[in-house]
Amino acid sequence: MQTRRQFIQRGTKLVAAGAVATAAGPTILVRDAKAAGQLKILQWSHFVPAYDKWFDPWAKEWGSKRGVEVTVDHVGFADVVPRATAEVAAQSGHDVHMFLGLASAFEEHVIDLKDVVATLEKKHGKQVELAHRSTYNPFTRKQFALSDMWVPDPGNYHKEVWTKIGKPQGPVTYDDLVWAAPEVKKVAPQMQIPIGVGLSQDIDSNMAVRNILWCHGGSIQDKDGNVVLNSPETLAALEYAKKLYSVGMTQAVLSWNAASNNQAFNAQETSYILNSISAYRTAQDNKLPVLEHYYFVPALKGPKATLASEHVMSGYVVWKFSKNQDVAKEFLVALVDAARESMLASKLYNFPSFYGAAAEPGTPVNKRAESGGAWITAQCNKDPFGSNPPDKLALLAKSVPWSTNLGHPGFGNPAEGEIFDTYVLTDMFAKAATGALSPKDSMMEASTRAKQIFDKWRQKKMVPGGGKDK
Amino acid sequence: MVGELTWSRRLVGLWLPLTLLFVFALFPFAWMAATSLKANAELYDPTANPLWIRHPSLVHYIDLFKETNFVVWIGNTMLVATVSTVISLLLGVMLAYPLARMRFPAAGLLAITVAVTYLVPQTLLFVPMADLINRMKLGDTLTAVMLTYPTLLVPFCAWLLIGYFKTVPKELEEAALIDGASRWRAMTRVILPLCTPGFLSAGIFAFTLAQNEFLYALLFLNTSTIRTVPVGVTGELIRGDAFYWGQLMAAAFLGSLPVVLIYSFFVKYYVAGLTAGSVKG
Amino acid sequence: MSTNPVLEAARPATRAVPAGRPFRLREWLEREAVFSWLMLTPPLLFLLAFLGYPFCYGVYLSFVKRPVAQPATFVGLGNFVNLWNDAIFWQAVWNTFRFTAAATVLKLVGGLGMALVMHQNFKLKGMTRALLLLPFIVPTVLSTVAWQWIFDPGMGMFNRLLMFFDLVKQNQGPSWLGNPTLAMVSVILVNTWRGLPFFGITILAGLQTIPDELMESATIDGAGTWARFRYVTLPLLMPVIFIVTTFSIIFTFFDFQLVYVLTGGGPANATHLMATYAYSVGMSSGQLGMGSAAALAMVPVLGVVLLMMSSYVRRA
Repeated sequence: MQTRRQFIQRGTKLVAAGAVATAAGPTILVRDAKAAGQLKILQWSHFVPAYDKWFDPWAKEWGSKRGVEVTVDHVGFADVVPRATAEVAAQSGHDVHMFLGLASAFEEHVIDLKDVVATLEKKHGKQVELAHRSTYNPFTRKQFALSDMWVPDPGNYHKEVWTKIGKPQGPVTYDDLVWAAPEVKKVAPQMQIPIGVGLSQDIDSNMAVRNILWCHGGSIQDKDGNVVLNSPETLAALEYAKKLYSVGMTQAVLSWNAASNNQAFNAQETSYILNSISAYRTAQDNKLPVLEHYYFVPALKGPKATLASEHVMSGYVVWKFSKNQDVAKEFLVALVDAARESMLASKLYNFPSFYGAAAEPGTPVNKRAESGGAWITAQCNKDPFGSNPPDKLALLAKSVPWSTNLGHPGFGNPAEGEIFDTYVLTDMFAKAATGALSPKDSMMEASTRAKQIFDKWRQKKMVPGGGKDK
Repeated sequence: MVGELTWSRRLVGLWLPLTLLFVFALFPFAWMAATSLKANAELYDPTANPLWIRHPSLVHYIDLFKETNFVVWIGNTMLVATVSTVISLLLGVMLAYPLARMRFPAAGLLAITVAVTYLVPQTLLFVPMADLINRMKLGDTLTAVMLTYPTLLVPFCAWLLIGYFKTVPKELEEAALIDGASRWRAMTRVILPLCTPGFLSAGIFAFTLAQNEFLYALLFLNTSTIRTVPVGVTGELIRGDAFYWGQLMAAAFLGSLPVVLIYSFFVKYYVAGLTAGSVKG
Repeated sequence: MSTNPVLEAARPATRAVPAGRPFRLREWLEREAVFSWLMLTPPLLFLLAFLGYPFCYGVYLSFVKRPVAQPATFVGLGNFVNLWNDAIFWQAVWNTFRFTAAATVLKLVGGLGMALVMHQNFKLKGMTRALLLLPFIVPTVLSTVAWQWIFDPGMGMFNRLLMFFDLVKQNQGPSWLGNPTLAMVSVILVNTWRGLPFFGITILAGLQTIPDELMESATIDGAGTWARFRYVTLPLLMPVIFIVTTFSIIFTFFDFQLVYVLTGGGPANATHLMATYAYSVGMSSGQLGMGSAAALAMVPVLGVVLLMMSSYVRRA
């Protein structure tokens, strides 16, 4: 084995040398992976492009002050997880990796960031609960990721159309959507998908179906990690989705990608979508005609609850294979400290996970969360990025009570992460809504898949529960 | 075709199907071009006539050049495709020449082995490949893809070249050997020059595959400035919840041009090699 | 794996130098076997390093359970058993067959038609040929993104045109990528669009190598257009058709980009192919062993398809 490997290595080196010689040119960078004095960060391409224009130079500047060379690479949001898989498999790549959902499936490969969180809490006070629940595994007691920001997920509605049907303030309850769908079609025939809630294998749909499930009282797990998807509440949520699909949607929503609902809304082809404000910012940038009708509502009220999943939950991890772990931790602290800049650079898209980090300088720790909250509210009440009226986004300042984490009412553990990544719930909703399976069969199928995934992680002692699976 | 065709038969037999073919093959490009010339407000206006451009605008092209590394991506793609094509042709000749023209032990086994390599799916290879690239400290460099693309290209180059080499009569080589030339000389001076169309054909085929490759580029290249066109365009112009359709279409349109230029010169030879081996051999 | 075929094969040739005569390098190099193996060694070493090693490693992965970078546990055929019991995997297999078969037949028939049409005398033939080849040479990802835009339910070209000609009411056009059947049709359509010119141009080149005299003598013997095509043209074209079809089947069977960009396998896995499914299992949910097993499953399947094809052609 030894000799074979040497043989291959010699061979590859020879070929490599030959190829490099053939290809010598200025654009070929043979990067020497010098460990010391470097920090390589992998980020998504932010949904608000302006953010990247702030982040990259900011990170580089932080590095030059600290004496390290910082590199920032961006990938599309859908490539964040595959890229992580590839780097972990190869045990090399970046030092810091940002996830935008749950990083929990990678818990074994990342270092514990407990000390970072402790430092930050000492400085700024506690982080918001949903950030804590998305980055900490109470079962293994590991802080596997650090969240610097999260993104609220309000409803977006077309005010002109909703005014015409007699609800100028937009929908309030889930029943409003079912009632409104045929009315909208009457007053706005171009809206053949009056309610634009996706049921496809993409992230927006993944959150939307969770909202429906939770508001009907169902959930995948209970707070102790038992799988409780098989329940009358889930059935009620599926029946609801079936009803909504039949009156308010077409097959198009089964193949929607993350951009489709925005695009449909921006083209005024739907009257309600669930999305963060990035689509709104796109409409502003392009001065689209929809802009004056673009309004927001908080999470809708369901029979049992009023909840919405966060839209994005940043989870920065530091890989175990990284040779620059200490610098990486320092960087994460600095990033959280820059809460105000981050929120403004993202045009109020990012909300700080540590409200205290947005406080007035010099505020004592026990007052910081409050002070930060006040600053955030001030921004939302008077949008610095040209909303008309300026308080269009005011509701976002009050979004914490109706926002929750993936894994609600428990923690965002690895099993929840895998269920999210493999679209178990969207498949369940799509099958029930389109009638491919009865709501009951669809629920049973999903429940079996969920239990298999939970069991797998329980065997690895990373997920609790199991005693009370339903 | 034999025989004089009447005007009407020529219409039905030539012009009509030709027009249909043109429409089928080219309408996506027309749609690309039309989209890329519409400003966003017009693009998202459902009342606008889809086939008409009311206010032609170069804004997407300007953004593409100003905001992204598009020009760099094009350069990278051409460089990577050229280098990996050259490597593949060299290795392909070395593989094909003996297999097509020599008798030696284990030739049959070798031919089968080479044939089997066509069947190896990229999806099986990319994780081990990433490992290999990292151990060679080539992660995130263009060299990484220049070295891995030939694994996709060499088998096809060899296949095409074997076919072509077989068309050259063995006597030519024997005559050269009798005249005192070494085998090497006979190959480089007599046989290979006769096979130029074969090289062009295999080269163009390899080039097409290389500039088209997506998976390895997606996984091996991080930095924006060392990306290739397919990965750069999808990675940076599709931002999750907003497709920059105008810029995307501008990029698709411009990204197609370099290959089109290359093909317009070489299309003649392209097919010559593809068929020579199979028809005569 | 310990013996090296390269060295093994070279050995007898070395020994074969007749005893008693002085060893002469030049003469030795002129031996067919020696010369061959000297030529073959570099490409084989390259393939061994960059194809053989990753391949073996990939095969090894498919027999272990390795949730990214864990110490791997050997599970034997466990991954394959899991796949066998995985309904989505079977759907992907079935989809891959449907996709490959439909697209190949369409490309072959269309390409043959294209070649016959182009095999006539008309002006600007060279340019026509180059233009019609465009779909094949443009990077797949770029053209697929354009197709995604064409299929867009609200603002895509197809539905806009349907609305423009009042064939459907406003925004009631079909959901090209949302309806499971239509989505498969759409994916096949795009693959056909891309591959048809390759068939057409290559078969055309084959047509041009058929000597005119053959056709003329067939005509003199009283053969009609169809008979000439059936008994003269088609048999002579068979080798070319075999090559393009084989190439095309391989590329279609492994197609990844098209589905990855256009539908991501959706709606509800209706367009997942084996390649995209292997990627999504292996990379997007981090089960490298399962992903490798799914990818490896393609090899024998494709091998059987190609063997069947070549034996059929040999008989015909």
